[in-house]
Amino acid sequence: MAGLELLSDQGYRLDGRRAAELRKVQARMGVFAQADGSAYIEQGNTRALAVVYGPHEVRGSRSKTLHDRAVINCQYSMATFSTAERKRRPHGDRKSSEMSLHLKQTFEAAVLTQLYPRSQIDIYVKILQSDGGNYSACVNAATLALVDAGIPMRDYVCACTAGFVEDTPLADLCHAEESGGGTTLALALLPRSENIALVQMDARLHQDHLDALMEAAMMACKGLSKVLDSVVRQHLQEVSVLTRE
Amino acid sequence: MMQTEKVLHLKSSRGGKVRVVREHYVREQVECGSWLCEAGCVSDGKLLSGDVTHYVVPDAGVVRDFLEVLEFRELQGIVFTQTACQAAHHARGRRHYNRLRALLKDPRHDCILFANEFQQYSYCPREKGETQEKWHTRCVYHAAVWYYNHLAGLRPVVMITEDEDAIKEYGSQNSGTFSNFLLEYLESFWPDLQAARELYASIAQALQERESEGAEKEYTEHLPAEVLEAGIKSGRYIQGTLSVNKHRAQHEAFVRFEGSSNKNTELNSDILISGGKHRNRAIHGDVVAVELLPHSEWKGRTTALTEGQGEERAGEDTQSQPMPTGRVVGIVQRNWRDYVVTFPPREELKSQSRNSQKILVIPWDYRIPKIRISTQQAEALQDHRVIVRVDSWDSTSLYPNGHTVRVLGKAGELEAEIQTILVENCIHVPPFSEAQLREMPVNSKEQPWQMGPAEVSSRRDLRDTHLVFSIDPLGCEDVDDTLSVCTLPGGKRLELGVHIADVTHFVKEGSLTDLEARSRATTYYLADRRYDMLPAVLSADLCSLLGGVDRYAMSVLWELDVETLALCNVWYGRTLIRSSYQLHYELAQSLLNGEEVEVPELSQLKSSDKSQKLAELLQALETLTRVARLLRAQRDKVGALELEGVEVRAQLDKDKNIAALVPKQPLEVHETVAECMIYANHWVARKIQESFPHQALLRHHPPPRQEFFNQLIDSAKSRGFMIDTRSNKALAESLDWAVDPQDALVNKLLRMMATQAMSNALYFSTGACPEEQYYHYGLALDRYTHFTSPIRRYADIIVHRLLMAAIQSEKDEYLHKTLASNKELDELAQHINNKNRAAQHAQKQSTELFQCLYFRDKDPLMDERCVADAIIYAIRANGMLVFLPRYGMKGAVYLKNRDSQVISVGDDGKCKWQVGTLQRYPDRISTFTAIGTHTFHLFDHVTVRISVEPSRCHADSMHLELISNKPHRAARAESHPAGHGQSELVQEVVRREEKASLQAEEQKARRPKLSREEREFRQSKTPNLYSLLQEISELALLDLSVYTNDSCQRSLLKC
Repeated sequence: MAGLELLSDQGYRLDGRRAAELRKVQARMGVFAQADGSAYIEQGNTRALAVVYGPHEVRGSRSKTLHDRAVINCQYSMATFSTAERKRRPHGDRKSSEMSLHLKQTFEAAVLTQLYPRSQIDIYVKILQSDGGNYSACVNAATLALVDAGIPMRDYVCACTAGFVEDTPLADLCHAEESGGGTTLALALLPRSENIALVQMDARLHQDHLDALMEAAMMACKGLSKVLDSVVRQHLQEVSVLTRE
Repeated sequence: MMQTEKVLHLKSSRGGKVRVVREHYVREQVECGSWLCEAGCVSDGKLLSGDVTHYVVPDAGVVRDFLEVLEFRELQGIVFTQTACQAAHHARGRRHYNRLRALLKDPRHDCILFANEFQQYSYCPREKGETQEKWHTRCVYHAAVWYYNHLAGLRPVVMITEDEDAIKEYGSQNSGTFSNFLLEYLESFWPDLQAARELYASIAQALQERESEGAEKEYTEHLPAEVLEAGIKSGRYIQGTLSVNKHRAQHEAFVRFEGSSNKNTELNSDILISGGKHRNRAIHGDVVAVELLPHSEWKGRTTALTEGQGEERAGEDTQSQPMPTGRVVGIVQRNWRDYVVTFPPREELKSQSRNSQKILVIPWDYRIPKIRISTQQAEALQDHRVIVRVDSWDSTSLYPNGHTVRVLGKAGELEAEIQTILVENCIHVPPFSEAQLREMPVNSKEQPWQMGPAEVSSRRDLRDTHLVFSIDPLGCEDVDDTLSVCTLPGGKRLELGVHIADVTHFVKEGSLTDLEARSRATTYYLADRRYDMLPAVLSADLCSLLGGVDRYAMSVLWELDVETLALCNVWYGRTLIRSSYQLHYELAQSLLNGEEVEVPELSQLKSSDKSQKLAELLQALETLTRVARLLRAQRDKVGALELEGVEVRAQLDKDKNIAALVPKQPLEVHETVAECMIYANHWVARKIQESFPHQALLRHHPPPRQEFFNQLIDSAKSRGFMIDTRSNKALAESLDWAVDPQDALVNKLLRMMATQAMSNALYFSTGACPEEQYYHYGLALDRYTHFTSPIRRYADIIVHRLLMAAIQSEKDEYLHKTLASNKELDELAQHINNKNRAAQHAQKQSTELFQCLYFRDKDPLMDERCVADAIIYAIRANGMLVFLPRYGMKGAVYLKNRDSQVISVGDDGKCKWQVGTLQRYPDRISTFTAIGTHTFHLFDHVTVRISVEPSRCHADSMHLELISNKPHRAARAESHPAGHGQSELVQEVVRREEKASLQAEEQKARRPKLSREEREFRQSKTPNLYSLLQEISELALLDLSVYTNDSCQRSLLKC
């Protein structure tokens, strides 16, 4: 019974984008000096901050240590001011733990963990402002932070959401679209090999439509990977200019 | 990536005042949708035409309040801005918005949507402290300016608004872009469009009244939508459609709940809503949420017949078992339509209109409450039928508020009454527009239509190989089916062919004609006229499979074994045919009976040729009859029902109850033709269902609910018949047994009751229904569709397209056009079902109208025709329902009047009113008076006198009075063949009406002449704008000095 018209007859979405268009992406790497790697990303109004420590010795209980590869530890949290109504608990609730787990799975698929046996890599992500696509913003930010930390990966991990409204797949949903009652699919992709790191969908969807939806999400991820790549290159340029002096 | 820019939007959504920030992307390339555009806007949708003098941009307030004015098709070049549309959506809700969307999609309206807020240069952010209305107006004005500049000033742009400040501010800011009031705009640019201005005035007044309203609460407030939704989900409230009892409109309404979402298993009947307070402003047809009342407050439904209209006693005396009773807590979906109302006469007006110009008008439909409108034309419009729309119904007001839309005519005039029936059934049949007619191929004497060579080569040519003939009612113009039958070489096999007019060749999908046909969905048959679905050039000429001319056809050919008639092969495809004989039923039957009759096609020939040809034809007819008999027997074996007359079986959607009961001469050839058509429909259904398992249009007839048969079973029992309703086969057999040798009508009535107990057959999309529900109960077929009448049914056109797609996809896979999806098809099927139902109602109502007109001028006491034989078919608490075979009418006869007198029967059978009592039993009703006791049994024959009870606001109704308990045997009744009663009646009324109009012609200027022309073209004399303007222009040509503006005014009022 949603009153909003998610896709107008002319093909415009609520915020003026067309079905396959992404939101504006801006990103910065190396925002903090203390951490091994850090990055900040804005996807539309969703803002995320990622910090990476490691690889380092396994802290806490030794039993977690893996002998052939590194342990990846993820923690996801949302700032209390990130949503329209103030959040009570920034992390540790069910949603956050689930998200942490998803992030861990995603990066275990992408980071070359076998290069660092018996060690640990920490990834901390915080959503500063939430406007839909939290997971994908986190993944993209963490990717940049990992790059900043110099941890070898198979490829960028690019994540994006896609939804399905009136027989049309929409890329990169905003909050209004996500809560509009349609199906949402989140996809994390290694764009060059087109390997899927993680795909998640909770709602029902007819199987005939799945291919179209996946296709749209893949296209969106590839688009994002170009943006991330240019961010990394620019950052590299800036850093190399500094070091040369 | 794409060039985007981000702008922040501040929004506070209700409930907690949250600040929400939303992104907003604007771009340079936004399609303008104008034909004149030189900037290279890409647009695949519809375009605004270039041949207008200006473009008009309505602002948010105008779209919100005066959308109806903008709906006039004469207004061209309308640019709706996104701002205005969204503001209207926000303020008036989804219904209003959907209406706007439909308008934008309709290619017949020259209007487009411009997404101004996404255009980089026409977007303007809201300023601090600016009110929303001001901001909207500013946005719209900026959009108008941009539009003007974008088109390089080729056309001036006018913004219309109702905001005075805006006009002051923007009036002369930019050259080429003007702003104006809606009324001034209409007056200066469309001076001919009187109707639009009247509509404007009526809406404006309604708005004004609404503002100045008091605040007394008459009803409890409706619950908000979220609460309702949650309540319905949790089972606390029940959602359903409100239907008001026609006979006790103020007291009784029922809610029929939908689907199986209801968890309350104890509820297996409808929910009673008793009284106006509990109904809480819901109007008949609305989807409402109902809360059940505690058991102690449950009531029963009333079983007594109401006497006359208007006086509804809330009598507690005759109530049935208490049933679930509830009250309306909220309205999920309003389903308001246009209502026809009648203005009260002057006396009532005076008493009503002490304060302001508010008037309570009475809708034609009993089920609709009185509507309050404010108008200054009340004096002029008294006793007129007027279309009214309901605007709102606040909890502070006892009656809903509305405004007038259009005047139909004086109550009691034939045209006005027919128009009333059409409007009440939501049937909209304007004459075909010029653009539509331009799409049609030409076939005139000078320029005869010819077949295209490409078509000739691609079709299978049956012109010389097959003997094709048609059998239709006498005088039929739209022949959509022809038949052929022949023995194949070798003599082992027989080929049966059904050839249907190839309408889809002429009506391309998406063309204007197609859209019009789709919105009409069927040809409407009223008692004295019909409204065609397709223009006459198609329906009566090029598509019609007339005798002796070459025509395109869609054919189904079966190869059958000569001996056993077992099916060997089926072929579907497009063909060329030339029908050799255009027979009618009576002629075909006489041929079969071996009588000497003249076949018109053969009258020119020499006798030797003639006898040979005749033998050929006869041979074909006989084979056909043999095949049809076998097909029928096959279906009978699995339980096909014979439900009163051919109509019920062949065309269930038309005149099911009355016309079918007129005892007409049933000929075997009727059945033969019908059987072939059913066969063709069945095989086409199988074909398209196989090819498109999820998106084929079929027709099913759901099995009826057993409890509906109770009346039938009880009635039959009173005559000693057992009716077995467990399956269609059992029902068919037991109905065949239930024949009273003395009275053939008994069986007819039983069949009629069986028909009534059944649900209607419906169209559906195969993807929307599980496969076991495809079954057609009445015909006992597992698949069925409509294929054989594309000229008068839109469903057949869809089926033709599906069949063509199926054939094509077999030939070459890639030549596959995208078909309608299951969802679209299902919506379309619903639409067609609704229109069919409307057509049925309209036909029934028009028949009743003619009955009333027929009896209106007859003196019931003197005229012999007003006395008729009747047969009792149901018993009620204070009377009985009877059927009049002579006129094919049903009605109620009261045995008890208002002074609680009852009918008593004298020795000679004459009836008188006497003080006494009444006792009702399931199968009989008895009166006890001083004279004695008399009992009326079911299926007794009685004599009644027919009179008309005039009603000012509603349709006139028939009143039946019992005059004798003996069957009526009029001397004339025998001599004049029954069955013609109906048509004779119609003819007489039409004759009388024409005479009256002829007299009017002498008195008044040229009006009726025009109408006669229109009748020739088989269109109504709808008082539409086109004919009005036409008339005015003609008048102007004649003599300017005589026909001044005054006469235009008069003729306008007359309509």
